[in-house]
Amino acid sequence: MILRALVLRPILREPLRTTLTILGIAVGVAVVVAIALSNQSALRAFSESVDAVAGRANYQIVSDVAFSEDVLRALQPFWPRGVRFAPVIDAEGIVEPSLQPIRLLGVDLLSDLHFRDYRYASVVTSGKESAATYLSLFGNDSVVVPATFAHDHGLHLGSPLILNIHGVRRTMIVRGLLEARGPATAFNGAIVIADIAVVQAAFGLEGKLTRIDLIVNDESLIPSIQRIVPPSARLERPSRRNERVEKMLRAFRVNLFALAGVALLVGMFLVYNTVLISILRRGKDVGVLKTLGTSATQVFAAFLIEGLVFGAVGSVAGIALGRGLAWVILRLIGRTINALYINSTPEAIELTPGIVAAGIAVGTILSLLSAIQPSIEAAQLRPSLLLSGTVWRRQPRRQDQTQASSPHRTQILVAIVCFVIAVLLSRLPAWNGIAVAGYVAVLFVVAGFSALAALIVTGASRLLRAPYRAAFGIVGELASASIPASLRRTSIASAALSLAIGMMVAVALMVGSFRETVRVWVDQTVSSDLWLRPAKGLSNADSALFPNAISADLARIPFIAAFDRARGRGVLYDDDRVLLASGDFAVAARFGDLPMIAPSKQSEALLNAIARNGVVVSESFSLKYNKGVGDDIALTTIHGRRSFPITGVYRDYSNDRGVVAMDRSLFIRSFDDDAISTVVIYLKPGIDRDTARRSLEATLGPKYHAFAVTNGEIRGEVMKIFDQTFLITYALLAVAIVVAVLGVINTLAALILERKRELALLRVLGMTVAQVRRMLVLESSVLGLTSTAAGLAMGYVLSWILIYVINKQSFGWTIAFHTPVRLIVTSLAVTFVASLVAGLVPSRLARRIDLAMAMKAE
Amino acid sequence: MRIRLEHVTHAYAGSDESAAVQVLGDISLDIASGDFAVLMGASGSGKSTLLNLIGAVDKPTAGRIFLDDNETSVLDDSRLTMLRRRSIGYIFQFFNLIPTLNVFENVAFPLSLANTPRSDVKSRVAEALASVGLGNRATHFPNELSGGEMQRAAIARAVVHNPPLILADEPTGNLDSRNGEMILDLIRSIHKSRRATIVMATHSERAAAYGDYVIGVSDGRVGGVGSGGWEKEPARDHYSAPSPESVAENASTPTPHPPLPTPRKQ
Ligand SMILES: Nc1ncnc2c1ncn2[C@@H]1O[C@H](COP(=O)(O)OP(=O)(O)O)[C@@H](O)[C@H]1O
Ligand SMILES: [Mg+2]
Repeated sequence: MILRALVLRPILREPLRTTLTILGIAVGVAVVVAIALSNQSALRAFSESVDAVAGRANYQIVSDVAFSEDVLRALQPFWPRGVRFAPVIDAEGIVEPSLQPIRLLGVDLLSDLHFRDYRYASVVTSGKESAATYLSLFGNDSVVVPATFAHDHGLHLGSPLILNIHGVRRTMIVRGLLEARGPATAFNGAIVIADIAVVQAAFGLEGKLTRIDLIVNDESLIPSIQRIVPPSARLERPSRRNERVEKMLRAFRVNLFALAGVALLVGMFLVYNTVLISILRRGKDVGVLKTLGTSATQVFAAFLIEGLVFGAVGSVAGIALGRGLAWVILRLIGRTINALYINSTPEAIELTPGIVAAGIAVGTILSLLSAIQPSIEAAQLRPSLLLSGTVWRRQPRRQDQTQASSPHRTQILVAIVCFVIAVLLSRLPAWNGIAVAGYVAVLFVVAGFSALAALIVTGASRLLRAPYRAAFGIVGELASASIPASLRRTSIASAALSLAIGMMVAVALMVGSFRETVRVWVDQTVSSDLWLRPAKGLSNADSALFPNAISADLARIPFIAAFDRARGRGVLYDDDRVLLASGDFAVAARFGDLPMIAPSKQSEALLNAIARNGVVVSESFSLKYNKGVGDDIALTTIHGRRSFPITGVYRDYSNDRGVVAMDRSLFIRSFDDDAISTVVIYLKPGIDRDTARRSLEATLGPKYHAFAVTNGEIRGEVMKIFDQTFLITYALLAVAIVVAVLGVINTLAALILERKRELALLRVLGMTVAQVRRMLVLESSVLGLTSTAAGLAMGYVLSWILIYVINKQSFGWTIAFHTPVRLIVTSLAVTFVASLVAGLVPSRLARRIDLAMAMKAE
Repeated sequence: MRIRLEHVTHAYAGSDESAAVQVLGDISLDIASGDFAVLMGASGSGKSTLLNLIGAVDKPTAGRIFLDDNETSVLDDSRLTMLRRRSIGYIFQFFNLIPTLNVFENVAFPLSLANTPRSDVKSRVAEALASVGLGNRATHFPNELSGGEMQRAAIARAVVHNPPLILADEPTGNLDSRNGEMILDLIRSIHKSRRATIVMATHSERAAAYGDYVIGVSDGRVGGVGSGGWEKEPARDHYSAPSPESVAENASTPTPHPPLPTPRKQ
């Protein structure tokens, strides 16, 4: 009955308030669920591919560089002891002419059935499955593709398929189709399987392997197998790869979740506000109930249950919404992950019980938490005060005037303490590569500003009073005066809106600064005239490669002053995957413009690297592993572990994992890989860039499938990837703003319902409906202006933490502060207009007030 | 239920710039079980405050209050809650029905707090509603009732759990004279039929006439200014109204009466 009186009936009777609150929570939960879902989907896509390719192997001998197949002979003695092994070549490449990235898997088609689950859908054309038809699979141009892949590319048995692997182009023939199971499902079916001997012969990998899959049932054999592993390879479980990828994506994910946290935090404010409003509005009823003998605990429980109901319903709605949102996010982060980290095509979104439970828990628990404080307050109220109706008229004034100094003093004190803690926290180092202290510092800054909310609202409305009266007359004055009159409600709405705006400004500042920094960096780094690449997009740069033979052709072209051949690959450093890059350091030293951190002259760093067989590393690498000029780093080469001195540290924003760069000749010696991913071309003075470009594409295009792009295009492409990466960030912030605006609508609607009598009186005294509505919209403009101003201030503080603490610790990037004025002005304008709309929606309620009724009841 | 107050004073905590306001000063009272006592005084004299103290809604600043042999002024919050729940029925000037509950649910509320079995609730609520003449309005919500009907529903709620003490604060203050009389008759007849102690606060002499006796309240003291003690004044000495009995008997027929002061809002 208490529940029905205080909670259930009101929930049904006030559909606007109920819907808005549930929507707010739902949106918050949806964001979290969506991010969890899409993360899971992206990672699962990757790990499933790894598992599908690994098959039944429980160990692998893997290497970042190819190793000799001699090790197979060394493995022979283990066969009688139950160890099964399968040699594999696992290479990335592209299909021409579509340039789609694919995986080429070279396996021993005869013995591999122990390891992987293939089923041939069809082999060659005829129905007779004689031994001869199977033998055709071993033909020196035979490949097997998944039936789905064949279907997508219009391939049939016997169709030619042009593959470009490591810059070697070969036309293969599709001789078999695979059913969609096992490895045929890996990489979304973008996989081509061939006999290992065929792959070795066709793509210049004679005698080489990239991996050996092992089934070892007797763990005690591992140490003796370990002894025969070549120096350039390592023995590990297939799952290690997934773990590494997961670790690599961790900072990225933490950042996403932190952003989702903002949406949730704003949602919490909303629940807090809703429960508080319902307590304030039903204060008198609570008084009556308590007089009639309802206990404090019962009242407390009733309001807590209100929070619970909102939380539970909101969470369930949020999970449904989150599933939809995940789909959108997947398009967005899928691209980011592909561009920056791994190649994986995310698959279907699967709502696991774990995620559902987490979503419900997050929404419900946070709602409960935010309902606790106002519920306690309701429970403790004295019935006599509630009954006489004096409490609500007196208490705010009490806070405001009588003890004016003391609550304000505590608020200011709390804020100062929060800010001091935030400053101290932001000086702490990262924990496990995650800027935990930074995130907590953000929370403290938010708490500090929230503590000041009431002060800011009163101060601002006092300031606005005179101008509002001047501009809008008595309506304006009433509007600015009514905000502090219902201080508690308005200050919470304002705090929520400020928080959302603050985060938005902070992220806009961070992204804007980052973008500007990257733009300056790209302008400086991409100083060459033309880039020659085997494919158009940047994202599949690693799969598409030129053969080294292109060097000779380039050397013959008269208008080229110099060219720098770049090639990168992922290698393990300290059990993390870092990017190992290479280039012609002598050319770069003369023509390039690498932004150096130490030493200040790039030529010194690069020439030293050539002379001493050293490397230069990126700033992110240097920060992450605490290595600088003069230190040595160890990498596994084809000759085993080798140590390289660092001769320079440079700025790099292309990769947060860290980059190690070495001269091309050292790279070829160390990794036996002379393919080229990009050729940076410097033209002789006076040569027209467009003419050069056309001539290059004409001479090298047919032979090497080469595209020439100008530095302007490269810059544009880098910025495009950058913007794509941060699209999700903006999307999440927009969500937070939406939630906050919902909160403002909610608050204003409540204020109107509650002020029915006052509004009716104004109407009776001769105010038109239009005037009342104008007054209400002006009120929300006071709220909007206040929150915007507070949010702007908070945003600057938060962006400082984001840029100098969180980003630096998570990604190792030094960013120069830059205010993207246009972006910030537009987004503030948008939120301000949104807050006006927030006033417009509930102001419709004003029309519905029945004057006679409103005047009659108490 | 017997009510005793010993040297009770009450001050409201200071708000605004002012210091604490003393509203009641040194009040001693003894109301015997089964009495229908009327607290009468001008608006602002402290009647409601006194009633709140008796009704365990508020605690006195000093002094002791006894209901039967319980000293309520020393009980903690949960004990007071139990006391209000079981032993006291309240009738307010502004009715104070819960707007989100219908008439039936409002009246059933005290029973549901006491965990009364469902079947019992139904019959007792029906009985209470019938006794106030609202048997056919059970499913209506308060905003669908007239003032007099709301107050009758409130009375049903006050008596449904048979409390030994019923407190009424200006029960007619918000009603026209006809409805007011009807309510007063109702209270009077409840007093007779249920044998509960009733304390009613009012500023209207006419209403006061319905009680057994009147306790004058002015400026936070009982029995007139300057008088330290108090005395029961026979109600009929104050105003010659038709005897409550005769009113109850003729409740359906309008009784002629001399012009009354219009009920004012407090
Ligand atoms: N909650 C309160 N806080 C401060 N003063 C109060 C409060 N309630 C009543 N008063 C003051 O106490 C005095 C007596 O009030 P009250 O008991 O309501 O009188 P009555 O019911 O006789 O009109 C009045 O002067 C009133 O202003
Ligand atoms: Mg009163």
